[in-house]
Amino acid sequence: MTARFSPAAGAASALRWFSRARRKYRTEWWIMIAGILVIALIVAMTVFPHVFTKYNPNDQDAGGQMTAPSRAHIMGTDNLSRDVWARVVYGAQTILGVAIAAALLSALIGIPLGLLSGFAGGLVDRILSLVMDSVYSFPGLILAIAFAAMLGPGVINITLAVAVVYIPTYFRLVRGQTLSIKEEVYVEAARAIGARRGTILGRYVFPNVIATVVVVLSLNIADAIMTEAALSYIGLGLPAGIPDWGMDLSMGKKFLPSGTWWMITFPGLMIMLLALGFTMLGEGLAEILNPRLLEK
Amino acid sequence: MRHLASYILTRILLAIPMVFIMLTIVFVVLRVMPGDPVNAMLGAHAPQRVIDQKKEELGLNKPIMVQYVEYLGKLVRLDLGDSMIFKQKVSQPIIEKLPATIELTLFGLLVSLGIGIPLGAAAARRRRSGGDFGIRLYANVVYCIPVFWMGLLLQLFFGVWLGWFPVSGRTSPRMEASVFSKTGFYIVDTLRIGNLAAFGDVMWHLVLPSITLGVVLSGIFVRLTRANMLDVLKSDYILAARARGIPERRVVYNHGLRNALIPIVTMLGLQFSLLLAGAILTESTFSWPGMGRLLLERIYLRDYPTIQGVIVVYTLVVSAMSLLVDLLYAAIDPRVKY
Amino acid sequence: MKRLLAILFVLGLALSVSSLGAQSTLVYGTTDKVTDMDPASAYDFHTWEIFQNVSAGLMAYTPGTTNLVPALATGYTVNAKGDEYTFKLRKGVKFSNGTPFNAAVVKWNIDRVAKLNGDPAALVTQYVKSVDVVDDYTVKFVLTGPLSYLPALVATPTYFPMDPSVFPVDKIVKDVGELKGGEIVALGPYRLTSFKRDEEAVFEANPNYWGKEPGIKKIIIRYFADATTMRLALEKGEIDLAFKSMNPSDVNDLMKSSKYNAVKIPGPQIRYLCFETSESVFKDKKLRQAVAALINRPEINQKVYLGQNAPLYSMIPMGMSYHTDDWKTVGDGNIAAAENILKGLGYTKDKPLTFDLWYTPSHYGDPEVNMAEVLKAQLEKTPLVRTTIKSAEWATYKQQWNNKQMPVFFLGWYPDYIDPDDYTSPFAQTEGSKGNGIFFSSKAWDDMFIMEQQTTKDSVRNSTFAKMQKMWTDEAMTVPIYQGNLYIFSKKNVTGVKIGPTLIFNYDQLKLK
Repeated sequence: MTARFSPAAGAASALRWFSRARRKYRTEWWIMIAGILVIALIVAMTVFPHVFTKYNPNDQDAGGQMTAPSRAHIMGTDNLSRDVWARVVYGAQTILGVAIAAALLSALIGIPLGLLSGFAGGLVDRILSLVMDSVYSFPGLILAIAFAAMLGPGVINITLAVAVVYIPTYFRLVRGQTLSIKEEVYVEAARAIGARRGTILGRYVFPNVIATVVVVLSLNIADAIMTEAALSYIGLGLPAGIPDWGMDLSMGKKFLPSGTWWMITFPGLMIMLLALGFTMLGEGLAEILNPRLLEK
Repeated sequence: MRHLASYILTRILLAIPMVFIMLTIVFVVLRVMPGDPVNAMLGAHAPQRVIDQKKEELGLNKPIMVQYVEYLGKLVRLDLGDSMIFKQKVSQPIIEKLPATIELTLFGLLVSLGIGIPLGAAAARRRRSGGDFGIRLYANVVYCIPVFWMGLLLQLFFGVWLGWFPVSGRTSPRMEASVFSKTGFYIVDTLRIGNLAAFGDVMWHLVLPSITLGVVLSGIFVRLTRANMLDVLKSDYILAARARGIPERRVVYNHGLRNALIPIVTMLGLQFSLLLAGAILTESTFSWPGMGRLLLERIYLRDYPTIQGVIVVYTLVVSAMSLLVDLLYAAIDPRVKY
Repeated sequence: MKRLLAILFVLGLALSVSSLGAQSTLVYGTTDKVTDMDPASAYDFHTWEIFQNVSAGLMAYTPGTTNLVPALATGYTVNAKGDEYTFKLRKGVKFSNGTPFNAAVVKWNIDRVAKLNGDPAALVTQYVKSVDVVDDYTVKFVLTGPLSYLPALVATPTYFPMDPSVFPVDKIVKDVGELKGGEIVALGPYRLTSFKRDEEAVFEANPNYWGKEPGIKKIIIRYFADATTMRLALEKGEIDLAFKSMNPSDVNDLMKSSKYNAVKIPGPQIRYLCFETSESVFKDKKLRQAVAALINRPEINQKVYLGQNAPLYSMIPMGMSYHTDDWKTVGDGNIAAAENILKGLGYTKDKPLTFDLWYTPSHYGDPEVNMAEVLKAQLEKTPLVRTTIKSAEWATYKQQWNNKQMPVFFLGWYPDYIDPDDYTSPFAQTEGSKGNGIFFSSKAWDDMFIMEQQTTKDSVRNSTFAKMQKMWTDEAMTVPIYQGNLYIFSKKNVTGVKIGPTLIFNYDQLKLK
């Protein structure tokens, strides 16, 4: 990514460049748009659930017990006579909330550490890198399970458990970027004119790192969604009473052999769809911003 | 040879900090867990005096730092300690169940590679065409499928409705595994004693779980292969090969893919971690008696030493895999200097 | 290609071969778990079941009934006061390694249970003062007081004699591997020859058994992580029999299917709600009555268990002596009565009664969380009550009830011994109540318990329990919700499943056609 001296002018050039990108990267553009649409739809579900369904997800008298999808209940009812579609709609709040919060938290911790480490170098860098690499190469879900088990059930706890896993991702990304940008000429120039370290970090390094971060954030949220679903599925997530797709899946699987397919199909589909939405957004953005950016 | 030995040694030494760090993180946070294992062990009726006695016996009343140092000391002697809940060495259930997880993960890897690499190569060949798009769509979609969901659906379709495959366990109940189980790697055990019926049974039980695990992670290999292939196909020697008139197919697969695979090998270590993680969910769905299930059960029982031991072993496995992969990489790419 | 065909052929062979060895072996699937392989410590349904089959007691129940008959004993006498029982032992019985069975062995085992003080030790220490060896084949139990039901007690696995040369006297055995020879040596119809925790347990007929030989020579228990997988395994024929614990929807399907033998066992296992009565807001019995009135048992039964259990209106289960349906007077979902009490105590819509409702997710099976959700909805039908559902795994759950951290929580109960005392004293007698997190203590109640425990007169017990059950709806330290039915499903060719109200599953009665 070419450097920009003034982040303010960046907005205008970003716009110009987006339309250029659209012409050049047709497919990726539409992929990104598709991702945005899916996300927008689900965000709408989160913010305006009553628009999508008139039922309360905890209403245990919404209809019959375990009725198949019908006009009254488009996704059927579950074993406690709750409307499945309502649970899907309200469940969006939980999973989206946890995933985004966890991703942001990871970023909030990982990015500054990465900047610090890349910029400072030396022993600090070596130690931090070692710790982060260790955590990074460890299977993420297992770490999340261990933390979730330790912290106990609860929305905040599960957010923390998921967040811990992704801190190294941001750290490594930002550190790498920082290291390479550090060597750029304009940074040297800034140093030459006597800019303070904080200014260099804040004005020159950070804005250039941000673009990559946005892409990684998007993909990270997709991953966090899957991790949250896995944790609730195993039963380490949320307490009863909060509609959650992963938990509903785990509850619904008991009724699958009896032919009650709608209890697991829809939550499963929604998890997939939401994760896919963020993935498409991230992938599309990545290809557009720099086709080689995320080659890992 | 001297170089190789020191290379291996360095890599092993580098793995130690990783184990150390993971262990410390888990050790500290485990002590913060709500729920007291001593209480769980002795039951609700035990008098305080007995509880205190047990705590002392298990060393739980010592300050955390002391417990930590003692644990590290044992670890250096390769002693993972004793289970707090059951009268067994921590290493015992781990030794029993680790092969199950490794077997599952390896076969999952095979499936991932078997699907991912050919598809990735095909996509690279047909860049920007409908096929390419379709394959990339597959790669992205498939990674977003929850592993446990896929497992359930496969169980239902192929296990129950079509009845082609079993839905749980590593062997049929009547094929008493304890009879032939030696190393715990049933594939190896059954072949060693030449019991083909048991071998077939074991393979048969591996099908659905491996596919569940492998398909979901095949997407990563599709992307990797495709990206690497694209790089490679732009390079000079490919141009040269084409100029020499070598048929396109051979150019792509013999010259292109071989070189594209090298970076994939380096990623195998990291992907193995993903597979290990996915294996936990697969084990849960298919009642597979592996480390994932062990971890979950011991978490419920608050069996600190076993939980720690499992994490340590996972770390070791990941490090070992990394090391193996690095060695493999060094072996196949002559440019790597050690 | 040829290799592929060969593999397929082998697979096909494997399939046919694996179904051949089926004749004399039965595979039994369960989602239960084994705890400690030691009668001094085991206090759960499944581990007791194992001991019921690999060992034996002085007395035993005729399979499928509640008749106590002599087993390792040939008979007993009681002294006039009712606090000394003398058992005559069967002669010529040996453990499988040759150790003879005699009075010294009986004493050794009881002393060991008392000394190790594990979970079930109270079954011994509360009643037995000492065990005396009169001679090689006569043993005397000296009790702490007159007791009518000692014969029932000696039929529990806690009293079963193990081989002293194999079991360590000073520690609890958790795993079979710890025993000398790696095997449980006892006196039952089967030997446990192999055990892989959470995977399988293999039983083979005991050639030295003093009783009648079992019908099936080999039984393999396959442990399942969840009920759905077990149901699927049954349907695929991978197991011959499935017992504990099936999902209600699976039970419904299997009962309707003509491919399986289904046995429904109305069992004396009960589920109930407990209150912490000493320090929480529920130390006021009126609040307990209010919450109890809101419970709607038939709705819980229908919603959570698809109608497969039975609403219960007394802590003493139906079918047991002295049971009366006193809670019917309070009714189900009696919002009016509850609101009456709550308003009287000053609760309003803006200041409702708020508390945490606790359940434990895996110990009692999967539908547990549903029961909590349904109860919460029932309680909140009145705006004067607001609850938050909380959960804790069993280990933490036990600790929390000891520490009085849960004001309201669910518990379940399987009988230790078949007697109404087992369903009442653990909750309302001072000692027991403490142990179960209820902390109820009243002299009047303790006196009632002493009366019914020590008398042998049926009329006295009858009137005491009648009075107690009535008083229970007033004190409401626990509220019964339902009585469970157990279901066993087996392939058509499996017969001999005889499980009675004792819930004891005797494998030696099984036959394969």
